[in-house]
Amino acid sequence: MSSSSSSDLVCRLDSASGLIDALSSVRWKRNQDALVELSEHGIVLIVEESGCLQAKLYLKREVFASYEYQAEGRPRFAVSLGLLIDCLNLFTVPGLSRAVEIRSVESSSSDSCIFAEIRTKIPDTISWDYNFQPAGSTPISFTVKSAALKEAVDDLEWPGSSVQITLQPNPPCVSFRAEGHGDLQIDFMYYANTDLLMAFHCDQQICYRYKYKFLRATTSNIPSSVTKDKRGSKLTFGMGGLLKVQHLVSVTRSSTQPPHVDASGYQLPSRIAYIEFFVKPEVDEDPVNDS
Amino acid sequence: MKFKASLTNRGIQILEKRFLHALDKIGKTWHIYLTPDHFIFLHNLLSFDGIQSVAQFSKQALFSDYRIASQTGNRIAFTLDLALFYSALRGSASVCAAGGANGVHVRLAKKQTNSNGPNMPFLTFETQGGNSTVIHDVPISSPLSPGDIMELQSALENAQEIPATLVQVPDLAKMQNFVERHKNIGDILKVSVTQYGDLLIEVATTLAVAGAAYCNLGVLGVHVDAPAESQAMKVRARMELALERGEALSAELKLKHFAKSLQCCLSEPDSAFLGIAPQAGCLTVIFQFFIPGTHQTDKSISLHCRLPVLET
Repeated sequence: MSSSSSSDLVCRLDSASGLIDALSSVRWKRNQDALVELSEHGIVLIVEESGCLQAKLYLKREVFASYEYQAEGRPRFAVSLGLLIDCLNLFTVPGLSRAVEIRSVESSSSDSCIFAEIRTKIPDTISWDYNFQPAGSTPISFTVKSAALKEAVDDLEWPGSSVQITLQPNPPCVSFRAEGHGDLQIDFMYYANTDLLMAFHCDQQICYRYKYKFLRATTSNIPSSVTKDKRGSKLTFGMGGLLKVQHLVSVTRSSTQPPHVDASGYQLPSRIAYIEFFVKPEVDEDPVNDS
Repeated sequence: MKFKASLTNRGIQILEKRFLHALDKIGKTWHIYLTPDHFIFLHNLLSFDGIQSVAQFSKQALFSDYRIASQTGNRIAFTLDLALFYSALRGSASVCAAGGANGVHVRLAKKQTNSNGPNMPFLTFETQGGNSTVIHDVPISSPLSPGDIMELQSALENAQEIPATLVQVPDLAKMQNFVERHKNIGDILKVSVTQYGDLLIEVATTLAVAGAAYCNLGVLGVHVDAPAESQAMKVRARMELALERGEALSAELKLKHFAKSLQCCLSEPDSAFLGIAPQAGCLTVIFQFFIPGTHQTDKSISLHCRLPVLET
C-alpha cells in the first residue's frame, strides 16, 4: 500500500462498496462536483445545487480501517463526484489512499494492482454554509422510517408540483401535500403508527413548501442497505423553513466481515456515514407559513 | 463451384453454443472463406476501420463430410449476415435435438425467390428429421471473384502475423468486467506490454487515470528477465524503464474495441494472450483452446482479433 510521506492523507477501507453507497446517496445529477474537506477527524464531502439544496456526507476517521492524517490545516478541494464513484467501482478488493488517489493490492497476485488517480479542482467560491438554526427552543423535527419517507416522496411525483410539508402538534401528525395535475396528501399520524413515525417534536403548527426535485434528491439514492437495515431518517425544520434531512448509511459491507455489533444488537456508529441534506423552502409572495 | 458438407454434432455444438454467440457480438457482416481444409469466418479484414476478427476451423473440427470445388484453387468466399446464419443453425440444431435427425447438411445453392426473378445464392442448411426435412436458406452475397479471393487470402495471411511478445491475459471474465467499468471514466485505453510479462491497462483523461497493472504473466515469444534494479519497482515505474530500454511496447486504442474483443469469452476459450504489433499498427488478442480434458492447444480451432491502434 502506498504510504507516501508527501500525502496529506492516507486512508484505507476494507471494502469500497459501502463508500460507493454513501457517495451515491448524495449524487442526484450526472455531472456534479463535490467539495472535499480533510481534517484529523475525518472527511466531509459537500454537494450543492443552485443555492437551494446542499448535501453533506460525513466520513469520520473511525469509518476507515486506517486513517493517517499529515496535513496542516484543513485542505479543501473539489472533485467530480461521478468520477470518484466510477473509479471506486473499479476496485474489487479495494482500498482508499487519499481521497483522490486510490490504490489497492489485489489478493491473488502480490505484484498486480488496480489504481485510480483523480485530478482535483479548485473549489468554487460560493458560500457552503447554510447556517441552519433551530426555529425555537425545541427544534421541530420528526424521525420516520427511511423506506417510508422514500416511498412517500416517490409517490408525490405524480401531481408534479412543489410539496407542502405540514407538522401539527395536536393530534401529532406530519402531512405531505402536492397539488398539480391532481392532488395527493400523505399523512403520517404519530399515534396511528409509532413504528413508522419513530419520533415527533412539534409545539406549534408549521407549514412550508419545497421544490419537488430538491425533496426527491434527498431520498432518491438512499442505498438499499438503509431500507434493509430499517433505519430512520430525521427531518428538522430550522429558521425560515430550512429543512434538514439526515440519513445514516453503513459503510461496512456485512457480507465480507461481521458488522460491529454491540450486546444490544445495534450496529456501532463507528462504521456509519452521516448524511445531511439542507433544502431551502420555496419563497412565496404570500407565505403559507404564518408562525 | 460446389460446396457440400455435413456438420457433426460437435461442430453444431461448437458453432451454436459458443462461437456464433461470440462472433455475433463482434460484428454483423462476415466473410465466410472456404478452403480445401478450413472453414473460416472473417470480419472486417478488407477495411480495418474497426476490429478485425478471424475464427478458423479445420474441416474435421466441424464436418464429417466436406467437399469443395471451384476454379479458384478450390476456394470459395462470400459475405453473409451472421444473425441469419446463426438463426438457421439454431433451427437445425433444435431439429437435431428433437431426435431422429440424420445430421445437418450444408451446401451452396442458387434459388429463385420469385417466379420471374433471377437465381439468388444461398447457403442452405438441410436437416433430415424422422418424418420431415427442414431447410433453412441463408441469403449470401455473390461469391467473390478470383481477384477478390486473392486479396482476402493475402489479408488473412497478414492478419495471422503475430506480435513478437504476447502476454497471457489474467482471468478473462474478470478482465471483461473490469474493462466494462472503465467505460464511464474514458473511451481511450492505453495498453502496455513488457517482455518481462507485465501488462498495464489504463484509461487516462484530463480528470482521471485509472487502470490495472499485472506482473509475472505467462509470455509467448520474446521473453527476457526484468533487470535486477527493476525488481523492487512498482509496475508503472518498471513499465517506464522497460519502454526506455526497448523491452516494452505501448499503444492507445478505443476502449470499446477492446471490450468487444473480450466478448470472445463467449466462445469459451481456455486462455487468451495479447501483444502489440508496431508495424501493423494493431493490438492482437489471441484466444487459445485446449483439446478437451488436456492442456494441449487444439490446433483445429483458432480465434483472434486485431484492434486498430490510434495514432498518437
